Amino acid sequence: MVTRHPDTDLLVEYTSGSLSLAPSISVTTHLQFCENCSNAVDSLNQLGGDILEAAEAVPVCEDLFEKILLGIDEGSPESASPHGAKITAVDAISDSLPRYVQQFLPKGKLRWRFLSPSLRLATISVGEDRHELALHRIQAGGKAPEHDHNGEEITVVLTGCFSDEDGVYQPGDFIVREPGDVHRPFAAQNKECICLSVLSAPIKLTGLKRVFNPFMGFSPS
Amino acid sequence: MKNSQLNRLCETPMPEVQDWTACLKTIGDYQDKARFSLLFEHFSPRVKAFLIKGGHLNEEKAEELVQETMIKVWRRSSTFSPAQASASTWIYTIARNTRIDCFRKQSRENLESLSADDIYDSSYEDDSHYSSLVQIRRNDHIDQQLKELPQEQSEVLRMMYLQGMSGQQISDSLGLPLGTVKSRIRLAIAKLKIGFASTYKPD
Ligand SMILES: [Zn+2]
Repeated sequence: MVTRHPDTDLLVEYTSGSLSLAPSISVTTHLQFCENCSNAVDSLNQLGGDILEAAEAVPVCEDLFEKILLGIDEGSPESASPHGAKITAVDAISDSLPRYVQQFLPKGKLRWRFLSPSLRLATISVGEDRHELALHRIQAGGKAPEHDHNGEEITVVLTGCFSDEDGVYQPGDFIVREPGDVHRPFAAQNKECICLSVLSAPIKLTGLKRVFNPFMGFSPS
Repeated sequence: MKNSQLNRLCETPMPEVQDWTACLKTIGDYQDKARFSLLFEHFSPRVKAFLIKGGHLNEEKAEELVQETMIKVWRRSSTFSPAQASASTWIYTIARNTRIDCFRKQSRENLESLSADDIYDSSYEDDSHYSSLVQIRRNDHIDQQLKELPQEQSEVLRMMYLQGMSGQQISDSLGLPLGTVKSRIRLAIAKLKIGFASTYKPD
């Protein structure tokens, strides 16, 4: 059961369209697992619709409707589900992830980078430079290095589960770590855990003496 | 619109539309251009207000995006389901996504050709771990209660939903701490009785 949800104000930013691309992907991913937040998002979209309805009208050009009639005669109606073709899962791991997430994966196999004996990472490029989107994979029984955050990190559990000092996280759980939260996640003994993560600044590994940051290849352009 | 065209569109007398959701459904079911013209007259000035208030759009660009939005409304109308959204909600999400894509193109993001429709897509929900209960997801009380909110709360909601501002941008613009902006949002949402995690009940 999903027990960790995005905050109200995050869902408001999400539905009002001011949330950046990568965090928005993490919210939609959570919605794949959470009926409660899906209903809340429907209501918040309705709030957007009601605010649109109440907006002070600004007149449009007289010939705009004619232009639109010309436009609609050129194209054909959109089909109900244009998405099937985008699914590109080519390996077992990709295939185990929610279909919504699969559409963002690179074509071809995921390229996992080795971060520690039990932790691998594959970055996902979505053309946004303020955040980094990635998949984390903690092997069964494995521990991720203890780390601290310079920026905010959002994690959504996709498969398996992991724990840290604060609790156990199941598929769908949406966890936000603020800068300064030191934690050390570890996966359940019997199953590896895959998470989607969104990072707004590099992570520091606190368990290591040398200052280096292999946890994320964060490189704002 | 030219008179001749109006006459052609309105061969059958059109009652004043009260229910835009039913109107949109009819447009989708019958490709009814006459009703589409009424829907256009009602919504396009509001969509234009939404686009202009979102900032940085001149008259010409706003008109172009109104056109883009209303063409999408027409083309997707056959997928519109009154059980899932009202007409204003549905048109709002299309206008919002159109505006997001426009801004991302301007800021040279979106090189991977991901559109806002992809990001917000909920068409995968069928696969998810919860059963899809058939329910009407409309809360008629939201509209009424929106009018009764204290001005300082409705102002913040309008800045977010109409102008597309983030909490941080509102904080900067009003000269208020971010925490104050967030608490206004939370109070407003609580008053609108929009359900969140605390109301979650397992089956
Ligand atoms: Zn939730």
